[in-house]
Amino acid sequence: MTQQSFSNAQLRMQKLVGAGVVLLALGLAAGAISIPSAAGYGGAGPNFLPWVVSLALLVCGVFIVWEAMSGGFRSLDEPGGAVHGDWAGFAWVSAGLLANAALITTIGFIFSCTLCFVLAVQGLRGAEGKADRRPVAWLKDVLIGLAISAPVYWMFTKFLAINLPGLTSTGWL
Amino acid sequence: MEIFNQLLLGFATAATPVNLLWCFVGCALGTAIGVLPGIGPAVAVAMLLPITAKVEATASMIFFAGIYYGAMYGGSTTSILLNTPGETASMVTAMEGNRMAKSGRAGAALATAAIGSFVAGTIATVMVTLFAPIVAELAVKLGPPEYFMLMLLAFTTVSAVLGKSTVRGLTALFVGLAAGLVGLDQISGQARYTGGVPELLDGVEIVLVAVGLFAVAEAMYAVLYEGRVVESQNKMSRVHMTGRDWRRSWPAWLRGTAIGAPFGCIPAGGTEIPTFLSYATEKKLAKEDDKAEFGSAGAIEGVAGPEAANNATVTAAMIPLLTLGIPTSNTTAILLGAFQNYGIQPGPQLFTSSSALVWALIASLYIGNVMLLVLNLPLVGLWVKLLKIPKPYLYAGILIFATVGVYGMRQSAFDLFLLYGIGVLGVVMRRFDFPTAPVVVGMILGPLAEAQLRNAMSIGEGSAMVFLQRPVSVILIVVVLAVLILPRLAKSWSARRLAA
Repeated sequence: MTQQSFSNAQLRMQKLVGAGVVLLALGLAAGAISIPSAAGYGGAGPNFLPWVVSLALLVCGVFIVWEAMSGGFRSLDEPGGAVHGDWAGFAWVSAGLLANAALITTIGFIFSCTLCFVLAVQGLRGAEGKADRRPVAWLKDVLIGLAISAPVYWMFTKFLAINLPGLTSTGWL
Repeated sequence: MEIFNQLLLGFATAATPVNLLWCFVGCALGTAIGVLPGIGPAVAVAMLLPITAKVEATASMIFFAGIYYGAMYGGSTTSILLNTPGETASMVTAMEGNRMAKSGRAGAALATAAIGSFVAGTIATVMVTLFAPIVAELAVKLGPPEYFMLMLLAFTTVSAVLGKSTVRGLTALFVGLAAGLVGLDQISGQARYTGGVPELLDGVEIVLVAVGLFAVAEAMYAVLYEGRVVESQNKMSRVHMTGRDWRRSWPAWLRGTAIGAPFGCIPAGGTEIPTFLSYATEKKLAKEDDKAEFGSAGAIEGVAGPEAANNATVTAAMIPLLTLGIPTSNTTAILLGAFQNYGIQPGPQLFTSSSALVWALIASLYIGNVMLLVLNLPLVGLWVKLLKIPKPYLYAGILIFATVGVYGMRQSAFDLFLLYGIGVLGVVMRRFDFPTAPVVVGMILGPLAEAQLRNAMSIGEGSAMVFLQRPVSVILIVVVLAVLILPRLAKSWSARRLAA
């Protein structure tokens, strides 16, 4: 088997990933302590699987850290795309998603999703190196966002009778 | 004869105008989703799961099945026309399909893919019709120990065998199992890992995890790493196959079906192995001129075989899903979730308790395959236009649909924050080559497996020996061990031979 070579930064990230798995395992184990073990007729109670999962993840995490310390992940598929992430673009998309989560119940589905759409488009376009911050471009994005989210909203509230939050209680906005 | 009567009844249900419409919309939507890069059938079904709250069970299962198949047809279009490898299932198709398209034979490649999918899909549906009731009858005899072992087998294959790295596959599986633990314990009603958040008492929705891992993570990955990736598109040509194309395609379709269908039947999913096997077979069997086309001008067998194998696997995967309640892929795991939303647990009893639903679903598979052939052969030019949508609009639009799916499920803004977190997790997993299917399968199958395990232990009066006292259970243990050990032995054996 051939072993790839990794840069120090890559190895550091790999160790971090392994450490994350170990942390998750420890967190799960800490939670498992407080689950009662009353097993009833069977030998396994509600805390049985939590312990199995915690221990298994701990073993996996330690193994991943060990791989990262001894030359890096084994048989790793080269990840697609650029070496360095476009964090500015990611910030735009994150802002869109988080704003959506925070505002959806207050400004309603249509406006909240349109906002998310506009912010995400900004980020994605910036990542392509074609950032366009002219008011016309913003306006166009807002209109396209509305043209997607409004019909989706109507289809769900009117046709399928599924509740989505609105600015008003008419089911239209 | 009884099967035939029930199938006819199924057709009667599936062919009502309303259900036909659901089937058609599902197939069309599925094709569109398959063509669009960035979202696959699993996430499309997941985003539409909220409709289970309002739409009647038969109609929505027909709809979801249409999406599932449609996406398979659509996926091959993209992999032939775009020069970027898409999902694993269509990667093999892309190898020869791309070369054919470059040498001006895109139309023939698309035609053999669509017709091959139809042939394989139909043959595999006949298999589902004939064998699913038999498997269900046998499965009734299985008890909790056997079920637990079957699920263990599904876990093992999906995490340890299919991926490149066992440790990363297992990590993904256990992360999924951990997500499945959140909420009330099914047997004792004990709350686990809720951290006092009332939203978590109901557990984490499968929709949330699937949409987060596939749709949101896909958009995040695109903005982070793929902004500068330049895609080129091959030129379309007329969708037409010559006599020689037909003569070369026919046997490849049938061989592909024969290879693919058994892989779908066993609870050891994944289309990678059968499609690859089919490709290798076609390459090996090809003669002189045809063989020379492999890797150069593009050989039509190399598209026909794997496409047929892919569809046969995917269709036959309905057998373990419907008769055992065991999903072997992302999409079948989500379909299982859809059944659960109706309070229906797929398994051997399904064929007696919900026989109308099952047979209507099976009948709709026949109808759907015909619809998809019509949708994909003459109308392929229409679908190709979807590839012209600019990436920023595509991914930002996907985020809107992700919101609908996740919010529509539980009406909780908390879930949208959780969705963001799972999206970030998905990016990390993709960047470091962790497979995602084990997370979804582990999450949905975990609670079921836990219940079976504890019931089995109760039967054994608290002793794990119960797994060794029943013949079928012992056989399954041996199979699990074989699946784990044999590939490794084979690898070290061949390594030693190379060294010697």
